[in-house]
Amino acid sequence: MNRREFVRIAALTGLAAGTAYAMAGLADPVMAAETGNLPFPADEADAQSGGILKVAMQIQKMEDPATYSWVEMSNQTRHLLEYLAMTGPDNITRPMLAESWSASDDLKTWTFNIRKGVMWHNGDELTAEHIKWNVERWTDPAIGSSNVGLSSISALVEEVDSGEKDDKGNAKMVKKLRDGAITLVDSHTIQFNLSKPVLSFPEDMYNYPTAILHPSFTPPFSDNPIGTGAYGLAELAVGDKCILKRITKTTDGKDFTYWGGKVYLDEIHYYNFDEDNQLTAFAGGDVDAIYEFSIEQMELAKAVEGNIIAARTAQTLCCRMRVTEPPFDDIRVRKAIVMACDNAAIKALVYPEGGDIGENHHVAPVHPEYFELPPIKRDVEGAKALLKEAGKENLEVTIDVGNTDGPWHQSVAEAMRDQLKDAGITLNVNVMPASNYWEIWAKTGFGATAWTHRPLGTMVLSLGYRTGVPWNESAFASAEFDAALDAAEATLDVEERRAKMETVEKILQDAAVMVQPLYRPVYTITSKKVHGYPAHPTQYHQFNKVWMSA
Amino acid sequence: MKLIGRRLIQMILILIVASIILFIIFDSDTFKMRIALAELGNFGVSAMDPDDYKAWLVKKGLDIPFYQRFALWVGNVLQGDLGWSFEKNTAVGPLLWAALKNTGILAFWVFALMVPLSLILGVLAGMREGSRLDRSISFISVFTTSIPEIATAIILTVIFALGLKWLPTKSAMISGFDGWQLMLPVMTLVLYDFGYVARMTRASMAEVMTSQYIRTAVLKGLPYRRVILRHALRNALIAPFTVIVLQLNWLLSGVVVVEVFFEYKGFGKLLLEAALFGDIYVVQACTLVAVIVAVTSQIISDIGYTFLNPRIRFA
Repeated sequence: MNRREFVRIAALTGLAAGTAYAMAGLADPVMAAETGNLPFPADEADAQSGGILKVAMQIQKMEDPATYSWVEMSNQTRHLLEYLAMTGPDNITRPMLAESWSASDDLKTWTFNIRKGVMWHNGDELTAEHIKWNVERWTDPAIGSSNVGLSSISALVEEVDSGEKDDKGNAKMVKKLRDGAITLVDSHTIQFNLSKPVLSFPEDMYNYPTAILHPSFTPPFSDNPIGTGAYGLAELAVGDKCILKRITKTTDGKDFTYWGGKVYLDEIHYYNFDEDNQLTAFAGGDVDAIYEFSIEQMELAKAVEGNIIAARTAQTLCCRMRVTEPPFDDIRVRKAIVMACDNAAIKALVYPEGGDIGENHHVAPVHPEYFELPPIKRDVEGAKALLKEAGKENLEVTIDVGNTDGPWHQSVAEAMRDQLKDAGITLNVNVMPASNYWEIWAKTGFGATAWTHRPLGTMVLSLGYRTGVPWNESAFASAEFDAALDAAEATLDVEERRAKMETVEKILQDAAVMVQPLYRPVYTITSKKVHGYPAHPTQYHQFNKVWMSA
Repeated sequence: MKLIGRRLIQMILILIVASIILFIIFDSDTFKMRIALAELGNFGVSAMDPDDYKAWLVKKGLDIPFYQRFALWVGNVLQGDLGWSFEKNTAVGPLLWAALKNTGILAFWVFALMVPLSLILGVLAGMREGSRLDRSISFISVFTTSIPEIATAIILTVIFALGLKWLPTKSAMISGFDGWQLMLPVMTLVLYDFGYVARMTRASMAEVMTSQYIRTAVLKGLPYRRVILRHALRNALIAPFTVIVLQLNWLLSGVVVVEVFFEYKGFGKLLLEAALFGDIYVVQACTLVAVIVAVTSQIISDIGYTFLNPRIRFA
């Protein structure tokens, strides 16, 4: 176990990360110096209070945080609503609204100690009862929260017969919270009793739709924005601006005390700029920071005065094949497509600066449990032989591309098209508007889907590749894979888990469900007067320690 | 009056047909699903069973047959209620008026610069057809008009905003109205449009200059300046007048590219965003305005034409 992993494990088991860093002998860094076990970076000695941070980002609706489907929505909310845990830019998860947590040896019981003295904007104190209300809400099918797909939350629910029949006369099953899944130990202690071991409970608790709401919540959140964060919502105009201001008084006029230590900015202003326009808006001095700029804009970014910030991530593009749809139901066809592609060459072409090569198993080198399998080698002749054996010579297939994450998706597909030609495969690239792609992403036979970063490799595998889970877009189903993933997820020790991940990664790689050429870095830029701006791999904005020099 | 009445009836008919077509299009399952995806996210929609989806449609009022929704919408519009924006979560009326105001400001400055510029250049070019001045003006006019607005916008941004740093790059007006931020969109539109109007003016002027009465006036020894100002101009301006008034239409909905590029919160940007989202009541309200402006500009053009050229009478 290396020292960074030690810190992660220590934090996972509830040990203050500052202590863990000290025990590991790490001189850190940015995130280690914690006062009173806070999850935020240490205060900089010369940090100045005051100022307005202007950020260019798409401004979206703030309806129901449990059903948010865009990171931008959560960023607007993140300064008001907080989470049980917080994953920092260093990919380490620390307690946030929870003060600490502990897990049973079998990882089936997680106990969270809720921080005392956390005040809601209406003056109430945060209690374990509030957390229970939130988790119960996530499991309500009527809410439709994606949180139920998280390993942790899915282990709290069970499928039961609703008593109704579907059109074919089969019993309609619904997921509901298991009896006894949540226990309130006392006013500030909550226990989750899972049906299976789950490793990523703390990481799951910073998934963007898991923000903790006050039980008085009714959507839309923007109409009654009560949270525990340092800021309140002053104005929201969708497609225009979202203005956040420091909270000093509760809604009933009492003094508001923020639990999370010193916060520097007076106001945070988000202004709506489409993604393509954000960098030029920054160059023109309209804003101090932007949500993101693309690799295509790197040359312009370098020409502009500012600090370019790049985060190494597990964000990726899965050109996945649906294993139930012909011709992809024949593994020889899938293998031929995978073998004819050269991931390293595609990465070098599309993302020459930064990033990692993908290995078709969706576990990234930044994931702590990543097991390095032998490098993939392109084998055009092998691909041809497989196609011949399958009787699919001169194969012609179409990949749907929505460019949902930028035009680089299309560049990847076009590079694949050129490579597949060598194996006699004709790949048609069907480019469609992003909104249209999201209508068919889980149904299309062959599609290029962007997947965001998640702190652990096991998390994304659970969401996307377990048998029958809602986001399993490739329809991959393997009891062997599920069991291997279960075993990995039941292992807290990273070295042991990494060893188990070898099997998991190998099964998925051998099943050839996707060509996954690369993991991309994400870029943003800030003006020189902005300090402490976090380079988060999922572009989560947590600006507690951001400050502006005069 | 007869003409105006006829045009107004025409306008009402266009409005009815256009809005019915839009209601039919937006009534499709695809568009309803698009709204659901935008609002609930991929997971939210995929996790819904058909009954949940039906309940969502009921909540949004999208379960009602389109003809009933259309009747309801017409009733509301007649009472001044333009509906609710699914995307922006606000009433359509204020949203539309704010966007129209912004586009109105943009259009005003485009007209204020483009009309005199194109008329002067057109007249100068048409006065002496084939002269060096004519050829120069014609070249510039064709050159600027043939460059797409998006390319002009990029070129101007690179030169004046990113290069010389004289002007702001975007026109989002995040700190309130700022005239400087209007410069680049106005320049882009003027550059694109003035050439077209100047060419029309030139053609009209050149034609007038070859007519018998101008030749007579010149041969009678009238000063050239007087020939141009008193005799040629009035007739030469009839055709450009119609073209200029019809540019109103273009400025309302043809400027989507410029408004989106410069992040200017005008009518074109609102319409595009609403169309992409499937925000039917915003699209309907924008269509209403677009049709009204189109027909009104046509009426103004017809009346002006009649006024300028007494030979023209409409039956």
